[in-house]
Amino acid sequence: MTFLQPLILWGLPLILLPVLIHLFNRLRHRPMPWAAMQFLRSATRKSTRYAKIRQLLVLLFRVLAVLALLLALSRPLAGGWAGGMMGGAPDVVLLLLDRSASMEMKDSGSQRTKRETALSALVESAKGLEEKSRFVLIDSAVKSPQELAGTATLPELSLAAPTDTAADLPSLLQSALDWLAQNKPGSAEIWIASDLQLSNWQPESDRWPALASGLAALPQNVRVRLLALNKEAEANTSVSLREVTRQIRGAGAELELVVEVERNTITGPPVPLIFNIGGVQSQVELKLDGQSLRYRHRIPLEDKFASGFGYIELPTDANLRDNRAYFVHSPPPLLRVAIVGSDLQSTRVLQFAAAPDRKNTNQVSEVLRADSLEKTEWKNYATVIWQSKLPEGDMAKKLQDFAEAGGMLLFLPSGDAGKFGDQGWGELQNAPTDKDYPVARWEEKEGPLAKTDEGLSLPLDELVVIRRQSITGDGTPLATFADGSGLLTRRNVGKGQVLFCATLPNFDWSDLGDGGVLVPMLQRLVHAGARRFTQGAQLACGDFPARSNERWESVASVAAVSDARLHGGVFRVANQIVAVNRPVREDAWEILDAAKAKELFAGVPVQLFEEKEGAADNKQTEVWRLLLAGMLIFLVVEGILILPEPNQSAVRAGAPEGAGVLTSA
Amino acid sequence: MDDRPQNAFLEPEVLSRLAHQFLHARVPMVGSITGLHKSPHRGSSVEFAEYRKYAPGDDIRRLDWRVFGRTDRFYIREFEADTNLRCYCILDCSASMGFGPAGKTKLDYAKRLIASLAYLTVQQGDAVGLQCYADKVLNDVPPRRNPAHLQNIFNTLEKAQPTGETALVRTLHEFAEKVKSRALVLIFSDFFCDVDGLLDAFQHLRFQKHDLAVFHLLDPQEVDFKFDRPIRFLDMEMADSLLAEPAVIRTQYLAALDEYLVRMREGCNRFNGDYRRVLTSQSYEKVLADFLVEREQLMK
Repeated sequence: MTFLQPLILWGLPLILLPVLIHLFNRLRHRPMPWAAMQFLRSATRKSTRYAKIRQLLVLLFRVLAVLALLLALSRPLAGGWAGGMMGGAPDVVLLLLDRSASMEMKDSGSQRTKRETALSALVESAKGLEEKSRFVLIDSAVKSPQELAGTATLPELSLAAPTDTAADLPSLLQSALDWLAQNKPGSAEIWIASDLQLSNWQPESDRWPALASGLAALPQNVRVRLLALNKEAEANTSVSLREVTRQIRGAGAELELVVEVERNTITGPPVPLIFNIGGVQSQVELKLDGQSLRYRHRIPLEDKFASGFGYIELPTDANLRDNRAYFVHSPPPLLRVAIVGSDLQSTRVLQFAAAPDRKNTNQVSEVLRADSLEKTEWKNYATVIWQSKLPEGDMAKKLQDFAEAGGMLLFLPSGDAGKFGDQGWGELQNAPTDKDYPVARWEEKEGPLAKTDEGLSLPLDELVVIRRQSITGDGTPLATFADGSGLLTRRNVGKGQVLFCATLPNFDWSDLGDGGVLVPMLQRLVHAGARRFTQGAQLACGDFPARSNERWESVASVAAVSDARLHGGVFRVANQIVAVNRPVREDAWEILDAAKAKELFAGVPVQLFEEKEGAADNKQTEVWRLLLAGMLIFLVVEGILILPEPNQSAVRAGAPEGAGVLTSA
Repeated sequence: MDDRPQNAFLEPEVLSRLAHQFLHARVPMVGSITGLHKSPHRGSSVEFAEYRKYAPGDDIRRLDWRVFGRTDRFYIREFEADTNLRCYCILDCSASMGFGPAGKTKLDYAKRLIASLAYLTVQQGDAVGLQCYADKVLNDVPPRRNPAHLQNIFNTLEKAQPTGETALVRTLHEFAEKVKSRALVLIFSDFFCDVDGLLDAFQHLRFQKHDLAVFHLLDPQEVDFKFDRPIRFLDMEMADSLLAEPAVIRTQYLAALDEYLVRMREGCNRFNGDYRRVLTSQSYEKVLADFLVEREQLMK
């Protein structure tokens, strides 16, 4: 609770006045000769608990009346999400506004989006504080603190407008913390308005403890008020583009879009999905069995060298910001695979498996000679297959950088032990005669060994491995032998991956060279490694650094004024066309529990307000009238309690009346 | 010249206004001389009582010859006998009777009532006596009809001071045993003692065929119990004290008092006692007038 006259709260000890007067009165007793002692003794014996409770209640109501009077004089603000915490008006209020796309969701039964509700609540709560407090707005999209002249126009500010970005709450709080540390105001309050989207809050992030301790360690008094807009939303469906690939098909080309459709209800009608490419529209109707569907849509292109853009769109629903996904397409880049091998047979097989279609000149595999490695530009390759002694020193650093940039680095055994990153080679192992190392299990949901689009498993169970080199380190196993040893392990490094395969496509080692497993595995690795080339024109809104000297020109966008940092669309920048969409993580509707969100601020006082039915609850108003009414009620109750009981009056009235009446007649 | 005795308890104006009232006994009295009160014996007054058949030995002068002439049977005419009464005033002089403002204590009030009643009783030719007691009988003035006897009573009243504990129950039992002949017994007390024992004593008095009138004297403070501050109540009869908060115990106090008063009233009713609750704030003249008038009305 905020008080406009907090100094009056120093008078709170006065609430003990009735108790002190009572005690003083008890000490101030006077002696009095008394005849009717027998009734006194009886009354003292019979003085019931009720009488004592009544006396305590009288004192309590007197105390409450004084308390209500003091509180009324201190002019508290309450009733809203910002009420309920003791303290005076802060010097500074930092408004941390979540402007992520998910905040554009309309609440169930409301025509306002969560962001609009939040702004309304912030404006209402700021009333009465504007005289004494400064207001600084830090929004999740720009993260640049902006001091406000007043809060009344907050909903109209461009800094509070909707965006297609995702929020990063730890970064937002870090901005607030930095501002507080830099400007050193007096007491401060941080008002956070967010829908508690889990992907935005990142509760597992190790930044939280540092943030909480940083806030607690500030010299000034800092409090946090969290407006959790976690009310259930209306039925909503979102669409996002997961992959855009273009394949050459004869004279033409084929554009393949991997679309993810998600909805927040279990069931619902079929979803009409509109594809617009170069102004040509087509529509498909998707039937979702559950809450999400990954749909692969292929669009034939006549000109294999043509570039273009388009978008996918859903009908209007509760959130307008997640109904469209933009894409651009251009001729497919050259997919190059580098093979460094010491085993000739294996190298030949690998070269073929990496580029099996000789007619597709867009995908080539190159066997690199040892003396050319130093000069090799690794960044031009999608995938590097290394079947040689593990690189060391400068070469290892180069390959590490290659992987971190998004490349796929596959190591095959060379017989030498060694280590690369967190993984490495152990000892060579040969299966006993007439025995092999059967593959027991492998990851079929994703990765290079996943099932095909048709749902067929790769034939790893038919793989015959008679020789292997054990994989050491803590890579994630993607396929394991029956004895628990790893066949294929993976370690994510930056945007790319480093994989270790325990056997070679050499008949002395295994029948991996037959291709049933090797070809799809390598193809997947090649495409995964090439994603940074093919998807380079697909950007996530707010996730890329926009350089100041770049001019982003909107080509297609929903928003009238488009800023690629804030809004999705198709933009032309530096002679390149890029599609900007809201980050995929914005479509993850998992909500962080409000209590857990509060726990993230360990050591900092947090006032939590969860959104309730009706916007009126969000208003913060002066409540001194209510307190005065409360005081009157307390006094009336106190008066009723000290009134003599009806039977007392009867006794008193009965005594004189009875006098002089002849009762023996 | 006014022949009424002068003292602090009597007010001539009050006496003159009450002079035309008589103190009547509600039960027949056994007296030695003719008076205003009915006797249990048949006598020769002018008031016809009943006829009864002649029995050998009856005085033939009381035969109703007219009845004999009509019926040939002998009937004796009987008349009511009127006699005088003896009135005993029993005054509680225990310390609790000293409660009240100076000069207006319960004892002072009782003295006024007794003095006035004694004067009126002697004036109508009846005998009046006084017994003062506290933890024992302090003074015992036997009943006399002589006007000069009044001075003895007044002197005794004047000397009476509140002191000691009350021994009313024992005193009444002793009185009932001692005074065998019927009398009008007027008791003036605050009756702050055991009610059951007190009612036993009343029953004893009624068993002895005494006419019993009880003046229950109470101070308004005792009835209202209106105090706003904690008070240490000092027992007037015993060396005891009690610190209490009247606001807290008032309900229970008044409830206990009410229960006690109801028991007193009902107990007196049960034994046909004339119970009168008197607040010392009331006019004693009105108390006396009501007492005398109501008794007279009962006689009609």
